[in-house]
Amino acid sequence: MSNANWILFLSTLSTGLILGSIFSLVAAGVTIVYGSIWMPNAANGQFFLLAALFGWTLTVSWGIHPAIAAILVIGISVPLSYALEILLIRRFYDVPNRNISYFVLSLGITQILAGIFSLTYGQWSDQFQLPPLVSGITFIGPFPIANNRLAVLGLAVAILAGLFLLLRYHRYGRALRAVFQNRDAAALRGVNVKASYSLSFALGNAVIFAGGILFALAYSFDLTVAWTMAITAFAIMIIGGPGSVLGALVVGMVFGFTQAIVSVVASPTIAAFSYLGAMLVILLFKPSGLFAK
Amino acid sequence: MKTYLKTLAVTATSGAMMLATAGIGSAQEKPPVKIGFVTELTGPWSFFGTSCVAGLKFGEEQINPPGSRKIEFVIADNQTSPAQSVAASRSLDVQDKVLALSGPTSSDTGLAVYGYAEQNKVPFVVPVAAFPQLTKPGSRYTFRLEPNAAGWGYAIAKFVEKQKPGGKIALIYSDYALMRAITAGLKYQAPLSKLNIVADIAFPQGSNDATVQAAQVLAAQPDYVVVIGAGGFDNTITNQLLDIGIKPQQLIHPFGITTQVMNWGKRSVGSYYGTFFDSNLDTLTPEGKTFVKDFTAKYGRPPSYGENFCFVTAHVIREALDKNPEAADDREKFRDAMSKLKTKETTSDIPIEFDKNGARKEYIYFMQMTDVADKSYKAKQAFYAEWDPEVIPVYTLVK
Amino acid sequence: MTGPTSTTLSVHDWKRTVVPLGVFAVLAFAVPVALSGNRYLAFVAGITLIHILWASGMNLLYGYTGLMPLMFAGIAGISAYFAVDLTSSGWSFWIALPLGALMASVAGTILGLPSLRLKGFYFTLCSLVIQTVITLGFVYFAGLTNGDTGISQIPLPTAPGGGTISPAVFDLILATAAVIGVVVLIAITRSSLGKRLVAIREDDELAEMLGINVTRYKMTAFFIGSLFAGVGGALYAPYIGFISPRSFDVLISMNIWLMVAFGGRGTIWGPVVGAVILVPLSFLLQEYYTVKDVIYGLLIIAVIVLMPGGIASGLKRTARPIEAAAPGMAERRGAK
Repeated sequence: MSNANWILFLSTLSTGLILGSIFSLVAAGVTIVYGSIWMPNAANGQFFLLAALFGWTLTVSWGIHPAIAAILVIGISVPLSYALEILLIRRFYDVPNRNISYFVLSLGITQILAGIFSLTYGQWSDQFQLPPLVSGITFIGPFPIANNRLAVLGLAVAILAGLFLLLRYHRYGRALRAVFQNRDAAALRGVNVKASYSLSFALGNAVIFAGGILFALAYSFDLTVAWTMAITAFAIMIIGGPGSVLGALVVGMVFGFTQAIVSVVASPTIAAFSYLGAMLVILLFKPSGLFAK
Repeated sequence: MKTYLKTLAVTATSGAMMLATAGIGSAQEKPPVKIGFVTELTGPWSFFGTSCVAGLKFGEEQINPPGSRKIEFVIADNQTSPAQSVAASRSLDVQDKVLALSGPTSSDTGLAVYGYAEQNKVPFVVPVAAFPQLTKPGSRYTFRLEPNAAGWGYAIAKFVEKQKPGGKIALIYSDYALMRAITAGLKYQAPLSKLNIVADIAFPQGSNDATVQAAQVLAAQPDYVVVIGAGGFDNTITNQLLDIGIKPQQLIHPFGITTQVMNWGKRSVGSYYGTFFDSNLDTLTPEGKTFVKDFTAKYGRPPSYGENFCFVTAHVIREALDKNPEAADDREKFRDAMSKLKTKETTSDIPIEFDKNGARKEYIYFMQMTDVADKSYKAKQAFYAEWDPEVIPVYTLVK
Repeated sequence: MTGPTSTTLSVHDWKRTVVPLGVFAVLAFAVPVALSGNRYLAFVAGITLIHILWASGMNLLYGYTGLMPLMFAGIAGISAYFAVDLTSSGWSFWIALPLGALMASVAGTILGLPSLRLKGFYFTLCSLVIQTVITLGFVYFAGLTNGDTGISQIPLPTAPGGGTISPAVFDLILATAAVIGVVVLIAITRSSLGKRLVAIREDDELAEMLGINVTRYKMTAFFIGSLFAGVGGALYAPYIGFISPRSFDVLISMNIWLMVAFGGRGTIWGPVVGAVILVPLSFLLQEYYTVKDVIYGLLIIAVIVLMPGGIASGLKRTARPIEAAAPGMAERRGAK
């Protein structure tokens, strides 16, 4: 294979992996929250953006090293989640049909966050870029890849693996999955359902924040990423099966790779249409999603 | 705050003087001339609208010396929405009874206000918004300061033609109205300039990663890569092209505003960008230099062409009214005054004159980045072109 | 909502339906006339009327059939673009309007097909993605829509016999459309179609077992709901004078849906109230652009926390025990 083709192949691979893992993270976060407390969070894009913008403030305005900033950003999501949960989310735990109420609530939160961003960050710049985690370029054969990109990729995959292991093997994870599947049965088995609700809300948001800060480290961004990411996350969640983290992981990766591959073979626009079209086709055959329980 | 107090002081002083002269019984007190400024203060384009207002405010301060008829800009937010733009225009027209409208920085809000202005016979002075159809044949009330986007593309071709005759160009851009207009102009002129377009890659709105496309561009072995991304994605494309091995000297951005140039950073030193005004221009007038200095002091960054055009708009309106005082209260007369105006940009002495459709004789600078520091950057002028807007069929090339 | 099936009106009916309808109709026509001196406020009233029409269509689908179609704005856009393309080719607006609306209805019915297989919120999320595809399509197929640039200088239509229509008269046309829309919605809800739709909303599997052809009724709901979207879209284009893909994107759909959820779904007047509150708010808050979004967001949160059923249910003082229990029970079943 010629050099040019190697470069094309490896760049497709790297794009698929990095986009796929960031998509997976955000979709996993959204699906955890939907699966446990039946909250479709339309504000997930704004949370994603909040993480990215906050990372920018930490690194560019306050000069903190990007790696530390990333940890701080993910960390701050926890108290924010708990605050939100105490103020608003827990009022609806026993309301029937609460997914609608939650959707409305999340739209309200979206408006507020969008308004705040527009007034602050939106006045300071039209685009934002964080300093790299590591600088320099590595060559994989003829293919040059930024070390920063490799670092982000490594971190994203590590967080995804950690999430998967947590949910599958750790007892908190198992408790969460029990509640996903059947909350009354889980309660009977001694799981503190309300506590696991708070925990899953915090966990889901933390994962979304992780996706946001990693995205900001890998790419430059502006305020419009919020909605495009939110739609992508919902699309992945539907196909993967709401509540299924495995589904979010697998489908997210597939999305990332489809975008990369189709954009080479056809064009980036066709790529965008293709995965949305694929989603509709899958839904016609398996409406509950590929990995639904 | 300082600006506000200054404006207040100037207003108070001129008000006091006017009262004094009225007391003597000579000058008749006339209400201030109101110009409606509909711009993007919230929504996706809020940064550009806010920057424009910042430039405008500097201009507004300067154009109201004591003794002259005051010009006041009534600023309204259009939320970057065409519907709100029409509503705001209507409000300014009907409730504030403004003499003229101005303000939009985005092509779609600009076109929405354009429709309203032409239909309701309200003069419309567009500071920033490059879409060609804003001055399409038959426009009577619209006057646009920024050159049109198809002409931009033409100028890029002329630049490459000079740099490397017979050169190969790769195009990589986001699918937005502005980008389509620029690439249409470029694709029109490229064969005429004997240039080859070796790659033509468009991204849908909402794209994030261009590494694969960067690899495709590299494989096409272009002499120059014209990058026209949207928002943050523009910077992503630039970085990924540099990562994959494209040299900065090969990169051409049609437009470079201050925040973009700073984000491109030291890696991009050696690359080219187009502009209509830059703090590094040799041709800055003393007023231009003062504008740069004051703006940088207040906002922590040098002004770009958006801020400049909005600043210049204030001066242009002042001049039109000074030359035609009776136009201050009559929209038709103001329209005629603008139409026959011959002046220069306060900041750079570039001539301003509008053709029958409200477009002006167009120009562009191409700058080459020489250094980027923490809050400033240096660039040198590499190319300058001037052309008549009708040199290419802009109104049929781009609908 | 689900009143007696006989065609004669009882005193009860009169109070609950005809009187509010009369008040609404009078206001719908009187407000634009009263405001006709101030073109700006009249404009705000006109946009509100279009949204009342849209909210009623959304109400039919969401409030009465239990389906949340977030591609509603996209469907309105299909009608708008189609009608504008026709009128710019020389067709009369009065023919383009029904054709555009019909086009939208057909599109809407096809796009509603996933609702046959997807339950509840799954369909909602699917519709979100469908809306994204529609917006992407509007941008991409620039030959038909002029792409991202949009279409500007859309003129107000001329009267069927020739002669111009002034903006003030067009406001009255909008009022007519809004009133007709609400009347149609009332008629549907009181008919057997309406009751079948409510049964489907409560529990579509049960409805199927009871012999209701769920497919046919869902598709009918989509067809009619899309008609509302389409008529509104075709009227919207000349009123604003400019349309672009972003005029009919996901945020617009969400806003229309919000008017229904906020106002109170499953009631005729809830969504009307929702539209009347939320639409002028975004215009009149223009002065306070710095805090407008935050105020809007807080308002939404406040209403959903304090009045989960929307404003209409919050204001209802007389609880109706049977109705209150049944929706609650069925909703719990349909929650996932």
